[in-house]
Amino acid sequence: MSGEEEENAAELKIGDEFLKAKCLMNCEVSLILDHKYEQLRHMSEDPLNQVSQVFEKSLQYVKRFSRYKNPDAVRQVREILSRYQLTEFELCVLGNLCPETVEEAIAMVPSMKSC
Amino acid sequence: MFSEVELLRTVIMLQKNLGQDKLASQRCIVTQLLRRLSMEKASEHEGYFLNVTGLKRIGKGQAIGRSGYTFFPVKFTCRTFMPVPGETLQGVVYRVCRTGAFMSCGPVNVVFLSTLKMPGYHYVAGEEPFFLGSDLSKIETGVVVQFVVLAVRWIENVYGRKELQMLASILGDNLGPISLCEW
Repeated sequence: MSGEEEENAAELKIGDEFLKAKCLMNCEVSLILDHKYEQLRHMSEDPLNQVSQVFEKSLQYVKRFSRYKNPDAVRQVREILSRYQLTEFELCVLGNLCPETVEEAIAMVPSMKSC
Repeated sequence: MFSEVELLRTVIMLQKNLGQDKLASQRCIVTQLLRRLSMEKASEHEGYFLNVTGLKRIGKGQAIGRSGYTFFPVKFTCRTFMPVPGETLQGVVYRVCRTGAFMSCGPVNVVFLSTLKMPGYHYVAGEEPFFLGSDLSKIETGVVVQFVVLAVRWIENVYGRKELQMLASILGDNLGPISLCEW
């Protein structure tokens, strides 16, 4: 199993690549992949033939589990969450899971306890 | 977690396949890179490759003696999916057995939720077995389960199978089967 340095998202021990990378919420990925799929649909009669299984499964996943469909709402979610001192990873987890209370948020993202 | 990362790959090109001008050569190199990524599908440390979003830099080519091949280091950005231990995700159950349930989560086909990590649930055998919780919630085929990632494993075997697999747990608050109306 992976975990050379005991990776644990709950403590934000997620490796340098995640700390440097731009994390994306499911709703953002849904808009991006959907747009790409539409482009392929215009170019080909059978767009599913043009995309990999990874793309197809990812698209199905993010379309099903996106909390926000409206592009303006998606933008607003990131904008509002960016006002707080959260890492990219914490921001995206909150945007994906949409906790209803503070206690729920801390249970889902324990690293926020220090915020 | 989905993310946009910067990656570095070495693209090997036959010198005769490179175009006459810089633009044509660049196009050949990018095509070869995309072909390589689509065959690679995923890697142990970067996760599953969804799509390339931008080309940062094509480095200086290094010819390999008289072989006719040239290496080009290419830096680019790519969208990836890489689960991390401790992260909360959702999965869809596709198989239930006595020892636990198998779920799929995005491009990850194998997410195993052991009975040891689903407290309060007991196995109900039958034509379509399921796990029944003390609160009468069910974990059965087609159900969405919110889980925390316990561990991630990279599988690469001689048959060319390359994939990430996850171990899941619903020990904790706000984890377990999710009601359909929420999604």
